[in-house]
Amino acid sequence: MANTIVLKRRIGSVKNTKQITKAMELVAASKMRRAQEFAQHGRAYREAAYSLLTRLSAITEVNDHPLFVKRNIKTRLYVVITSNRGLAGSYNSNVIRLLAKAIIEDNKSGVKSQIIAIGKQAAQFARRLEGVDLVAAYDGYGDQPTSNDVRPLLSSLSEMYADKKVDDVQILYTEFKSNIVQIAKSLSLLPARFEATENVDSLAQVTFEPSVAEVLDSVTERLLEVQLWQALLESLASEHSMRMMAMKSATDNASDLIDDLTLAFNTARQSAITQELAEITGGAEAMK
Amino acid sequence: MIRFELVTLGGVKFGEDVYEVLLPTLEGQIGVMPGHMPLISVATHGVIGVRRKASDKDDMIEYYATNGGVIEVANDVLRVLVDEADNADDINEQEAQKAFDYAHKLKLEAKDQVSLEHAQGMIDRQSVRLQVAGLKRRHR
Repeated sequence: MANTIVLKRRIGSVKNTKQITKAMELVAASKMRRAQEFAQHGRAYREAAYSLLTRLSAITEVNDHPLFVKRNIKTRLYVVITSNRGLAGSYNSNVIRLLAKAIIEDNKSGVKSQIIAIGKQAAQFARRLEGVDLVAAYDGYGDQPTSNDVRPLLSSLSEMYADKKVDDVQILYTEFKSNIVQIAKSLSLLPARFEATENVDSLAQVTFEPSVAEVLDSVTERLLEVQLWQALLESLASEHSMRMMAMKSATDNASDLIDDLTLAFNTARQSAITQELAEITGGAEAMK
Repeated sequence: MIRFELVTLGGVKFGEDVYEVLLPTLEGQIGVMPGHMPLISVATHGVIGVRRKASDKDDMIEYYATNGGVIEVANDVLRVLVDEADNADDINEQEAQKAFDYAHKLKLEAKDQVSLEHAQGMIDRQSVRLQVAGLKRRHR
């Protein structure tokens, strides 16, 4: 009998786990839908910023702007986007593996690496690294980041680049390809890159207020902002999607486990009954 | 009529033909009407006002709170690129007031330059939101 009680308890606890993972799966699914929707909104903004920059490049040398100037790379800064919490499949480990690989490369070529961590997982990893500066650790931006959240990060990035404290800024994030495919990726943010793709009508008659330089400053800021924003939102969508998948397979595994345990439980119960019957009939035989 | 496109990080907030748009720029407020000369300018935090028809009175102007961006006028298309724009209807005045007070508190407590700038940014943003909410209330 002892065996069946133990099995019964285990079935109960696995059932509880299954309920939890199922709930987490549903939560992640609804968050993913929202994040995906959100990620698409930024597209119009990027296109508008790009088209403005294209037209500006016709009348001014965009590549002379401090944020566009390329330098010899002595220090490289990584902005690493991870989640605060685990249980999201390989979401965090993919990004962190990419970071580790990049740092090893940097070490080989004598480039100093620095890290800005977004999300607790990246911060935890970066703190353990030797010889790598953790410049700042942001605590993640929740499920609905606003432009106010990214602004301080962006301004400190631009400042560091303009002051020549860093010579290259990479964003390590997870690209959201589809519900099933998400890829950890590195995007180079600074120096800002820009190529005029098409010839545009002359801007000779356009008035600039207050000046071309200030307009360029503002447009550049917006271009960087939208890139960072996009990376952040795609990571968010990926996180939820990977968490959903992880929780889905956890739920499936729990179901399998419950099936196995139920089978074992039934066998144990049946054999206990058979044994009891044998004992009773054996006892009755002896009484005769 | 002039086509007015309000593009924010959260998507396109406005995309219709209107009569007049009032915009806050670094050099002061400007009004853009059909036939405006080509212009590229920098917007600051402030209030964007939209008059849909020439016959609309002042109390029918739609207001948006914004925190700065780029303005482009060309061929009767006005494109405004801002981080965010809150419609007056979406702003809760009490909440904005609370956030405004909180930002002031943050500014007083700020220890370094970064948090000071952050607090100032919040103050600017919330004061514009309050202003927009106030404009709406006055016209009611």
